[in-house]
Amino acid sequence: MARTLLIVDDHPSFRATARALLSEDGFDIVGEAEDGASALAAVKRLHPDVVLLDVQLPDMNGFQVAAELCKQNGSLPQVVLTSSRDAADFGPLVLQCGASGFVPKAELSGAVLLAVLR
Amino acid sequence: MQRVHLAVLGAAVALTAAALYLTFTSNHEETPWLVAATHLVAVWSFIASGLVAWARRPDNRFGLLLTAVGFAWMLGALSESNRSIPFTLGWILGATFLAVFIHALLAFPRGYLETRSVYIAVFAAYVIAPGGGLLNSFVDDYSDDCADCPPNAFLVYESQTATNILGVVLLVAALAVLGTVFRVLLRRWRAASKPLRRLLAPIYATAGASLGLLLVAFSLTPVSETGSNVLWWILIFVFASVPLSFLAFVLRTRLARASVGDLLIDLGSAREPKELRAALRRALGDPTLLLGYWIPDAALYLDVSGERFDVEAETAKEGRVATTVEHDGELVAVFVHDDSLLDQPELVRGVSAAASLALARERTVQALTAGERRYRALLDAIPDLMFRMDREGTYLDFKGDPRDLVVPPEQLIGSNVYDVVPQEVADQFVGGIQEALRTGKLVSGDYRLQIDGALRDWEVRTVKDGEEAVLIVRDITERKRAQDELERLHGELQARHAELERERDFIRTTVDSAPSVFCLVTPEGEVVRFNSTLEAISGMRDDGLVRGRPFWDVFVAPREREEVRWEFEDLSRRGCKGEYENAWVSAGGGERVLAWSLTPLSDETGAPRYLIAGMDVTERKRQEDELRRSRARIVEAGDVERRRLERNLHDGAQQRLVSLSLGLRLAQARLKADPEEAERLLAGAAEELSHALAELRELARGIHPAVLTDRGLDAALETLAARAPLPVDLELTDSRLPEPVEAAAYYVISEALANVAKYARASAVAVSVTQLNGSAVVEVADDGVGGADPTRGSGLRGLADRVESLDGRLQVESSPGSGTKIRAEIPCA
Repeated sequence: MARTLLIVDDHPSFRATARALLSEDGFDIVGEAEDGASALAAVKRLHPDVVLLDVQLPDMNGFQVAAELCKQNGSLPQVVLTSSRDAADFGPLVLQCGASGFVPKAELSGAVLLAVLR
Repeated sequence: MQRVHLAVLGAAVALTAAALYLTFTSNHEETPWLVAATHLVAVWSFIASGLVAWARRPDNRFGLLLTAVGFAWMLGALSESNRSIPFTLGWILGATFLAVFIHALLAFPRGYLETRSVYIAVFAAYVIAPGGGLLNSFVDDYSDDCADCPPNAFLVYESQTATNILGVVLLVAALAVLGTVFRVLLRRWRAASKPLRRLLAPIYATAGASLGLLLVAFSLTPVSETGSNVLWWILIFVFASVPLSFLAFVLRTRLARASVGDLLIDLGSAREPKELRAALRRALGDPTLLLGYWIPDAALYLDVSGERFDVEAETAKEGRVATTVEHDGELVAVFVHDDSLLDQPELVRGVSAAASLALARERTVQALTAGERRYRALLDAIPDLMFRMDREGTYLDFKGDPRDLVVPPEQLIGSNVYDVVPQEVADQFVGGIQEALRTGKLVSGDYRLQIDGALRDWEVRTVKDGEEAVLIVRDITERKRAQDELERLHGELQARHAELERERDFIRTTVDSAPSVFCLVTPEGEVVRFNSTLEAISGMRDDGLVRGRPFWDVFVAPREREEVRWEFEDLSRRGCKGEYENAWVSAGGGERVLAWSLTPLSDETGAPRYLIAGMDVTERKRQEDELRRSRARIVEAGDVERRRLERNLHDGAQQRLVSLSLGLRLAQARLKADPEEAERLLAGAAEELSHALAELRELARGIHPAVLTDRGLDAALETLAARAPLPVDLELTDSRLPEPVEAAAYYVISEALANVAKYARASAVAVSVTQLNGSAVVEVADDGVGGADPTRGSGLRGLADRVESLDGRLQVESSPGSGTKIRAEIPCA
């Protein structure tokens, strides 16, 4: 059974491309969100297995969103952060916020995402 | 002899008779004739001498004392009485005459006791003599010495031991008194002058011998009664000679009076002052006498040699006194002589009176002689030439140094002045002579004459002398030369003074007009004076209200006064320079920043001072602060711009390139399975790439438009205007400006247009770039709502920083409702 996935990014072109790419690789894209607040609401509503979360959002950054998700009760989704920047730009913040890992946007693929999730 | 003397004489005769009666009726006197002889010789020696001296000098008690010695002696005759009480009283009072004798001896010759020690010695003698006898009478029966004597009426308890002890005590006391007497006499002898010693010698010899014998007799009594008796007899006759010596001393005046008669004879034959002085010395018996003649015109004394006679110096010597001599009520002379002559005032007065006439006469001669000698000395001391000439100018006489003459002296006398000196000098001589003879007044003049090849200046004074004239000629060459030199120096001094005044005025003007602050203070920091610049800055006047107060209290802002005071005192203590920057009070009540230095110096009087020299750097400090803030803003603006670029890159081109990358990978994955979808994805990727390129171009243009570099400001502005959302009216300069100026102008216009588009709600905007006075003038004016505040927001402030970094100026005019006009002036040089 394919894993459900929520894409959170403020750039529509990236959301569209990621949806197509990850659907192709077997993920079930259950929803999209363009900012942090929408993302938190969508997680409550859709209960995705994985959240692909952009670090830079208009209202709050991806680390804050991930930290908020970790505080919620019930089954929590695995959060994978992504950015057009390198992971080195963020240092330990990725793991401190409770995320499962980080995938650079330019290297995004189903296989890479699964590797991070494992 | 007065009645009292006769009464005393009668009493003495009566008492003598009584004493002789007691002596010859005594049943215990073994040698009545000898005792009687003693009374007649010794007692009457004292009484007779005393009465003569008393009558001779009634005001001198010495004669009375001598008489008293005789009477006291006769008290001893009571011991010849056959009755117990008179006999005992005679024993007790027998030695009283010794106390009176010591009194008389120590009171000689003035008749009274002079010092405390003498008083004590005499008092002790009066106590010991009768007191000792009285005490002795209480314990000594006398019968051991005289078996036939009546009993001791006062005997209380006979005791040989007590008698011996009392004898020793009395002996010691008597020796002490006699020792004091000898010491006093010795001191007087040493202090006496030679003439006085000559007079005192017989008195001191007989009195000293008497006391000495008395001392020996006292000492010998316990050893040898026979020897003691012999000594007592000798003592009586030596003792009897003492009053005769006194009498000789007293009577010498009378004898000396005879010398006054001799003096009158001597004065008649005296021809010289020294002979006169010798006569006076003989008359007064004082070979040390000095004589001074009073010269009233000069108010001084001259001695017999005509030299000045210092009376004060002479009388300051010990034992020397002065006696003045008057004639007809006028002082004529002074004797300085031995003070022993004071005991013979009549002799001195007699000699003075006898000599006064001769001295008055001699004084006149002495004064004339001295005057002549003085005037001759004065005349010889005058270095001037003196000529005596007649009315026509003929030389009659000459006195002076022949080397100062034009011709030798032998040729001069008899010659006429016209034959000797040049005519103009001769005219002056003859003219002066005739004027002096006519008016009788002194005629002065000066002339120059060549002597031995040297030109010399002379001053001539002509005075009338009968029908002739005396010309006193003085060489004033040196004086004239000194005068000329003095005038030259005076001229130089005046010139230097004027120069110094000009220099002082220049310095004063410089100090007062300089923009610098000057203040002179004392080493304690008290204001001495300050210049007008400081007056203008501080609002304080350089007057008495400020001078003398510490400068920090006057000029420095209150919060920094203590620091400035401390720094000043530290520097003043070390005496070195220093530089500071402090807030000083300003005229308007605010503060000004002054950079000032402190330099030690001396003022015109040499007093140590400190010069405070300072500059008002308030404006410079403000500009420095503004520059610092401007730099910070430029740095901040750069940072903001870089962050904006990074964000734009991230949000724009980078996102598109990420999407493009993912899209291409997706297309690649579907290329074989779904070629149509792959083609659609590739088309999307191409479009995404075009957007990314466009965004990168826009971004690059925002950083620095390439057209500005390549084609200049005009082309860049045309591009900018073309992209503007409202009509832009461009007025441009045709020439290129320096690259930094073009860049600054571009960004001013670009930012201004952006602001117009965002806030102005304008319908049109006019942009102009012109050149004026070497500066590029950029203006952007819109017809919008206005009300822009250049202090709010970073846009306009950043533009101002950029313009000011090129030494330019940015102005914003934006009244509400009147549009906004931005004007920048940027220097092109």
